[in-house]
Amino acid sequence: MRAALWLAFAALGLSLAPSARAATTLKLVEVITSPERTETLKTIIKTFEDANPDVRVEVTSLPWGPSFEKFATMVAAGDTPDVVEMPDLWLALYANNGALESLEPYLKTWEYTRELNQRTLQLARVIRNTAYMLPYGFYLRALYYNKKMFAAAGVSAPPKTLDEFVAVSKKISSLPGRYGYCLRGGSGGVNSWLMFGALGSGSDAFFNADGTSTFTDAGWVKGFNALAEIYKSGLAPKDSVNWGYNDVVAGFYSGTCAMIDNDPDALIAIGERMKPDDFGVAPWIKGPSGKSFPTIGYTGWSMFANSKHKELAWKLIATLDGVAGNQTWNRRIGVLPIYTAAAKDPLYTDPRFKGWFDELSDPDVVPMLMPTDLRAWALFGGSIVPRTSQSLLLGQITALEMAQQWASVMTKARQSQK
Amino acid sequence: MGVGHDQGETEPEVTAARRRIANGAEPYVYTAPVLILIIAVLLVPLSVGLSYAFRDIQLLDPYSGGFVGFDHFRELKADPSIRAALRNTLIWTGVSVTLQFIFGLILALLLNREFPGRRLVQALVFVPWAVPTFLVGLDWAWLFNPVVGPLPGWMFALKMTRDTNNLLADPGTALIGPIVAAIWWGIPFFAITSLAALQSIPKDLYEAASIDGAGTFRQFRSITLPLLAPTIAITILLRTVWVANFADLIVVMTNGGPADSTQTVASYIFTVAFRRLDFGYASSIAAVLLALLLVYALAILSLRRLFVQRQW
Amino acid sequence: MRRRILYWSWHYLLISLYVLFAVFPLYWLTKVALTPNDLLYSEGIRLWPSRTSLEHFRFVLTHSDFPLFFRNSLIVSCTTAVAVTLIAGACGYGLSRFRFRGKPVLVALMLITQMFPLVMLVAPMFRLLAPLGLTNSLTGLVIVYSAFNAPFATFLMQSFFDAIPKELEEAAMIDGATRFGAFRRIILPLTLPGMAATGGFVFTAAWSELLFALMLNSSPQASTFPVGLLSFVSKFSVDFGQMMAAGVLALIPACVFFLLIQRYLVRGLTAGAVKG
Repeated sequence: MRAALWLAFAALGLSLAPSARAATTLKLVEVITSPERTETLKTIIKTFEDANPDVRVEVTSLPWGPSFEKFATMVAAGDTPDVVEMPDLWLALYANNGALESLEPYLKTWEYTRELNQRTLQLARVIRNTAYMLPYGFYLRALYYNKKMFAAAGVSAPPKTLDEFVAVSKKISSLPGRYGYCLRGGSGGVNSWLMFGALGSGSDAFFNADGTSTFTDAGWVKGFNALAEIYKSGLAPKDSVNWGYNDVVAGFYSGTCAMIDNDPDALIAIGERMKPDDFGVAPWIKGPSGKSFPTIGYTGWSMFANSKHKELAWKLIATLDGVAGNQTWNRRIGVLPIYTAAAKDPLYTDPRFKGWFDELSDPDVVPMLMPTDLRAWALFGGSIVPRTSQSLLLGQITALEMAQQWASVMTKARQSQK
Repeated sequence: MGVGHDQGETEPEVTAARRRIANGAEPYVYTAPVLILIIAVLLVPLSVGLSYAFRDIQLLDPYSGGFVGFDHFRELKADPSIRAALRNTLIWTGVSVTLQFIFGLILALLLNREFPGRRLVQALVFVPWAVPTFLVGLDWAWLFNPVVGPLPGWMFALKMTRDTNNLLADPGTALIGPIVAAIWWGIPFFAITSLAALQSIPKDLYEAASIDGAGTFRQFRSITLPLLAPTIAITILLRTVWVANFADLIVVMTNGGPADSTQTVASYIFTVAFRRLDFGYASSIAAVLLALLLVYALAILSLRRLFVQRQW
Repeated sequence: MRRRILYWSWHYLLISLYVLFAVFPLYWLTKVALTPNDLLYSEGIRLWPSRTSLEHFRFVLTHSDFPLFFRNSLIVSCTTAVAVTLIAGACGYGLSRFRFRGKPVLVALMLITQMFPLVMLVAPMFRLLAPLGLTNSLTGLVIVYSAFNAPFATFLMQSFFDAIPKELEEAAMIDGATRFGAFRRIILPLTLPGMAATGGFVFTAAWSELLFALMLNSSPQASTFPVGLLSFVSKFSVDFGQMMAAGVLALIPACVFFLLIQRYLVRGLTAGAVKG
């Protein structure tokens, strides 16, 4: 009798016990890592975890330098995350290989989709007009200039055209140990080359209607040559042929060179090391055609197609890119906003952002989107451009020869991707 | 040794056979752990890696992997970057190893004599070997940088250079940077091994030679060098193989640039594998490098054997 | 007499140059680590900054994951050093004492493993270790590092054993001891300096390895300190001051260790070289 009673109690107890909820783990990989970003990311993720109590997010932060090869190795070996921070440079590689999940169905039902500005959706859909990532912000090039060095050289205002740019550089370079332009001759210099090339060409069209590259057109070659001449005539430091991102920014804030073309996120590094009165940001220079072509880039969040928790992964992306999360994120990252309403955010009314908002409201400024939909773009920008442009700067080849090499790679890339 | 022999003859056959088998297996027991480890962890991936040379392996393309025969090798033959990379590799390896060896040997000769403070000096000059190569590259890149490093200014003051520009930015001189860093890092290796070999040469050989009237230089040429030769051969062989495969310093200091002027075969393999993501082609280049190094190793080993046989 | 003075002047001059050459880059590393951020570029060329600060060291120790990476490196390097010394000791002993048919094959295999660029082994090795759960783990690194270092360590241990006459353990075996017993009680104590030296070499090699630590492991729990150094290079700034401070901190154990064992290394190799 007693045994039966105990059994009954046991059975009752078991049925009343809450079913053990297995905690789901989402994996997120960030690639543009810095201690501050990781901290901010974890703050936003915490709000997600609080709203979803049985989900835990495991954050893997890859050091930026080798992040490309490290992530490629992980993916190739099957170690894929649910959500990944996706730079525009990598998007084509992963999206075209079927690794990423289309976000279209989620965007259709998302509450914030209609508050995104036009550009956000346009850039999200560069690959086959499908959103394989949701941008968290934009990078737009503008002209940073060193006010102190300008004053020392007797220059009163930032240059507005290419000719003024060269003239100002000459004045500053005449000061001993000082140079006009912080040229990015090493990795990541492709943006600058395309910006100068487009100034010469007067248009941002990379391809003709038949898919052949326009780089060998006289206008583009003239533009490339203009940049090469800046280096060859000593208006940029000799060392800059090797310079990457960190070197040009360091060159700027250390007072070695007076002008740099860069994105809003450089404000963080520069702002930490220079007094706000010592530097300014102006719209990028215009070419002989009267138009300016600063490059526009973007980074965002993507979902992997083999994720086992797609709904949850979308919820995580929605938290990161929702109005609240995105505001927290961009406050620390300093990129241009994805929401139309955000332009009124106190962060962006700061005078330091004025240069960019001036650019965006000027009809003669055409933000130039690079062909990030080409699978070969990562290799082109990461390896072919530095090598060939360095040869040009060192006088080993001419601008036309470099343009021809670029054109043949680009034409092949475009036509093989059709 | 002599007394024990009788015992073997009186033991029963079975035990003798068992002992023979045990003796036969014994060396394998001792060497098994290392053997298993390197076969499982190194040789298996190595063969897989070599097999990639005959297949189309694009790192991010899950549908690649088809067999392409000798296509990669054909591409290799026609690749203009390879020739330049081979030339740079010869310069990089040849100059680094030669200078590391010479400076290491001189240091060993200096340390071979007793003098006050020798212990401390020995400890200090061997420390570079303990520094991670990534840090070595970064450190020397800073030293050569005109904005933050002292070397350009000093070299200009000593009339070694025409201006204070960065060595690493000029394609003609860029390779000097990684070479100097490699020498700094590699001297301890040669110094340690040469010193050990020097200290094993019996002192009375030198005394006898002095009595016969031979000067220091003559002694060095007829006693030191020949007795050192076998050690020299092995250490140079090992070091050359390591340096030829060593891309770290170059990637950190110049990334193969400017304009590929410091690209060696090892760093080119890295570029092809991790920028172009073409593991098939990269493996074929690695296979060629391996073949070249094998030929080189055989050459050195036969030379050493020849030399050793001639001496005794 | 004059010749002796001349000789010794040259001797001390050259020695000083060597010491200067070896130590100066490390001095520079320390100098950068002690320079506050605002002076890093403006006073770059000076031999000593006008103002020093411990801010970088403080940051590295309190705000980054550096202590964790340091601990991981310590675990991996010590374990590898011990493991390799043991198995390389056994293998070196086998190569030294026995003449057997597989010997040249074994030596050739070990030589070949040193000849392939490690970069190409990353992808196959990842594929090999991932299904075994050995990626993103310190154990996986220990196994990989042991394999890398075993050949050279075996070569070292073999030369140490070559210096000890075979007769010693053979005498013990005649008296009834097993080979292993003789090895343990007689030979081993004699090769302790050699083992210390080998261990030191392997520790130093494992301590500074970067490529595989970076590629095989991603989480901070499994990252070693060279990977940690890379995290000071972000897209936005290279915190050179902090990186150099982390570098200095990481150098200390490696240098200390190496300083302690290098004496044994020379002594041990000397004995081995006698046998050639």
